[in-house]
Amino acid sequence: MAAASSQGGRAGGGGGSSGAGGGSGCGTGSNRSGLLDKWKIDDKPVKIDKWDGSAVKNSLDDSAKKVLLEKYKYVENFGLIDGRLIICTISCFFAIVALIWDYMHPFPESKPVLALCFVLFLFCVYVVYFPLNFICTYFVMMGILTIYTSYKEKSIFLVAHRKDPTGMDPDDIWQLSSSLKRFDDKYTLKLTFISGRTKQQREAEFTKSIAKFFDHSGTLVMDAYEPEISRLHDSLATERKMK
Amino acid sequence: MLSLDFLDDVRRMNKRQLYYQVLNFGMIVSSALMIWKGLMVITGSESPIVVVLSGSMEPAFHRGDLLFLTNRVEDPIRVGEIVVFRIEGREIPIVHRVLKIHEKQNGHIKFLTKGDNNVVDDRGLYKQGQHWLEKKDVVGRARGFVPYIGIVTILMNDYPKFKYAVLFLLGLFVLVHRE
Repeated sequence: MAAASSQGGRAGGGGGSSGAGGGSGCGTGSNRSGLLDKWKIDDKPVKIDKWDGSAVKNSLDDSAKKVLLEKYKYVENFGLIDGRLIICTISCFFAIVALIWDYMHPFPESKPVLALCFVLFLFCVYVVYFPLNFICTYFVMMGILTIYTSYKEKSIFLVAHRKDPTGMDPDDIWQLSSSLKRFDDKYTLKLTFISGRTKQQREAEFTKSIAKFFDHSGTLVMDAYEPEISRLHDSLATERKMK
Repeated sequence: MLSLDFLDDVRRMNKRQLYYQVLNFGMIVSSALMIWKGLMVITGSESPIVVVLSGSMEPAFHRGDLLFLTNRVEDPIRVGEIVVFRIEGREIPIVHRVLKIHEKQNGHIKFLTKGDNNVVDDRGLYKQGQHWLEKKDVVGRARGFVPYIGIVTILMNDYPKFKYAVLFLLGLFVLVHRE
């Protein structure tokens, strides 16, 4: 706690500069649409309620994502996320079909259709909300990912590619997954590297108290967080070169 | 622009995350809807949960009790049993006891009902010219009940603004809060 609060003084200046682009860019909005400018606050330091566990985890996940995508210039692969969105949309669609069918054909006749929609809806909910992480590692492009607000599950929240500069080899894949137990302060971040060429998989992770990254007012201090991410990344990257 | 801190999370979201928040809201609404429809299918009744609105069945049921209904085809309607029925042309179901039954050989039934706490039978409530109820008017039979909880539903119907305010705040909370 002491380490986090001593860096609190620098949070204002440090947080702004390590974000994308300087804070001074936001003040002038003359070129772009002024309203959109004021709405987006990508450059402000992240401030959340430090007692809200899910907000803490989300902000740590987002910042780790930002570091990987901006500092190392990887390209995010939206396959997993899109799959999840599509399944949820389909299940809402079944619910709407059930509603409309029941409205048009009064109750006893609509029973079979209602039962069918109910079963299909339950199936979609099951597929989205229960963990399928082991399959995901291999079916990265088309996998159906799950979020699962439980206590020990790790969930993958970023899949990114590094495009091979020579254009010959298939892309390397980086995955981020994290876990934060409810009412616990230990946050675990795991970085997985899957080589495009050899299909070999390597992992590195760290478990730290969230107090190391947030100051007393709930602002995320990038100066403390970013080196951790970089260290994870470099440890996996250098192994590659040594082999 | 007002600095509404609770919107900060929303402002930091990209398009996919925003769509996910909307979907989340949709999923919650859909789940509630599907639970209701699922109950309808399982119990066979078109209104599986009803609230007692009047005191016409005291001391058995009081105003504000929640009733769970089933409507199995096999259940015979016998004198003395409590049924929930709907009068043609009215949408509010009524919970009363069966007083008299006329039954034909083929199983076709006509019955008369009366509330325990009422002085006269329900003929005054039926449609103009209707003297008996039939199987098709039955919404279900009460299989279980929870006392007093239905008062919330009665309140929400009497003060619709309260209902809309609660629903609006809930909806806003779900849309803005990330899981």
